[in-house]
Amino acid sequence: MPRAETTGTAGAAVAAGAVDVELAGVSVLYGPAKAPVTAVEDVSLAVTPGEFVVLVGPSGCGKTTLLRLVAGFERPATGTVRVHRKVGVVFQQPRLFPWRTVAGNLAFALARHGVPRAARAARTEELLGLVGLPGMGGRRTWELSGGQRQRVAIARALAAEPQILLMDEPFAALDALTRERLQEEVRTLAAVTGTTVVFVTHSAEEAVLLGSRVLVMAAGPGRVVEEVAVPLPRGAGVDVAALRGAAPFASLRAELSRATREAAAGA
Amino acid sequence: MTLLDAPKSTSVPATDGRAGSPGRRRAGRAGQVLRWTALRLLALAVLLVAWQAVVAAGVWPRVLVPAPAEVWRALVRASTVHDGVRGVSGHLLVEHLAVSLRRIALGTGYAALAGVPLGLLIGVVRPLAVVLEPAVTFLRTLPPLAYLSLLVIWFGIDESPKIWLLVIAALPPITAATAAAVRGVPGDLVEAARALGAGPVSVLLAVRLPAALPEILTGIRIAVGIAYTSVVAAETINGVPGIGGMIRDAQRYNQTDLVIAGLLAIGLSGILLDALFRGVERAAVPWRGRA
Ligand SMILES: Nc1ncnc2c1ncn2[C@@H]1O[C@H](COP(=O)(O)OP(=O)(O)OP(=O)(O)O)[C@@H](O)[C@H]1O
Ligand SMILES: [Mg+2]
Repeated sequence: MPRAETTGTAGAAVAAGAVDVELAGVSVLYGPAKAPVTAVEDVSLAVTPGEFVVLVGPSGCGKTTLLRLVAGFERPATGTVRVHRKVGVVFQQPRLFPWRTVAGNLAFALARHGVPRAARAARTEELLGLVGLPGMGGRRTWELSGGQRQRVAIARALAAEPQILLMDEPFAALDALTRERLQEEVRTLAAVTGTTVVFVTHSAEEAVLLGSRVLVMAAGPGRVVEEVAVPLPRGAGVDVAALRGAAPFASLRAELSRATREAAAGA
Repeated sequence: MTLLDAPKSTSVPATDGRAGSPGRRRAGRAGQVLRWTALRLLALAVLLVAWQAVVAAGVWPRVLVPAPAEVWRALVRASTVHDGVRGVSGHLLVEHLAVSLRRIALGTGYAALAGVPLGLLIGVVRPLAVVLEPAVTFLRTLPPLAYLSLLVIWFGIDESPKIWLLVIAALPPITAATAAAVRGVPGDLVEAARALGAGPVSVLLAVRLPAALPEILTGIRIAVGIAYTSVVAAETINGVPGIGGMIRDAQRYNQTDLVIAGLLAIGLSGILLDALFRGVERAAVPWRGRA
């Protein structure tokens, strides 16, 4: 599997002005060499450490493809991809290991991350609590609802403590209440731990709430057409729930909706 | 399974309005098992009556087609000590069967020990597959009786050529099933493991192997069946004790009833073992078909 060029070591201090993820003139082709389909064309993008970048755009515009490039699962036809720190992924589907229990799935990640056996139980419970599934470690994955499975997948990705977290519509299958709670958890977690996040969503509200920067994409071929900066406060002390009702939030959301409509019309 | 059973259980008249309750469903399933058992017994009875009728009609000589009662007597004779003789050729029927079963277990066991790792390698290492897959197919097409001669030349007429024959017979299905299963593991799961920092070895042993387990177990079950059909060939030479050897001896003396008794013993034990194996499969891979 082509791994994107990875430099630096896990946990390395990041110099000011450094970049975590760099895409330069990247295109991805799918299908047979004779009649390829251009999934994304000439995308350039730099994500700095601690940034929360959200990708929005119509279905099929290449959001998942961009995440796969960063994760090293896809090789660009042209251009370069550079990833400088450790990546974790929450896929569009949960992708849990059915032969392992919920706790077993987390243990897989913890073991790869080098967490000693003795410390795993406590860490597992902590992670399950974070995603709202306390005490569910013993459950079989196929006994869970779709939303519960996705939450286990989120916990599993977090278990490996990635420095760059890629999330592909992670909350799409959740009920409104759980979604809001997890949005708040992830926003705060990213700010507190300094995790860089690249996040895909179809919801303008979610994009504005979470992102420090929103990239609007268009299809045919997939490309980034607009960028909206979100100057909302971030950090440990921020009351995320209160943000939803704040005036700047509503106007940013309206601006993003307008940009998304324009992008779709121009495509 | 449950999907198929559900409509049947709800068709049970519901007096309390909870037709789908677990208790009722269990009762419905037990009733079904009873009905199936009754059906099987009925089929068996029909078969016995037809058999008896054919014998009574005298279509074929008794030496070729013995009556059910004669086969029963042969079974009893083979299973008891009579006139100071222990069963057939000094061994009870169950002892013959046990010796053969041991050979089948050893043969399939060694074949699984070699075949599963081999299949894993064939499944993931392309160059190995190119070389070894035709070899496995070649082995699979050989009739056991054909390579028995070679094994006897190499290993003599004791236990080892018999075990070797069963290993060779059981190896191809296990290897092929493992290789195909390992290749068929969803790329999604492999990617998920890689994204969590799993290297190639860890992906193979912690993802591909467990994901392939259901098919591997099915491959082993099929291999047991093939070892069953090959055990008579394995016991062609110096096969007593052994159910195959016993049948061959009976054939030599035209003891048709004993031949049929031996066949019954093989077939019935095969059914039991297969059922046992399915149970093991179900217990070992409870996620099968659910994820
Ligand atoms: N494995 C593949 N083979 C061929 N074409 C593909 C493959 N994966 C994606 N594509 C195509 O590439 C384009 C971008 O797909 P991608 O999955 O990145 O879209 P997306 O923006 O994530 O869409 P959605 O919002 O529906 O998840 C689509 O036109 C899709 O048909
Ligand atoms: Mg997608």
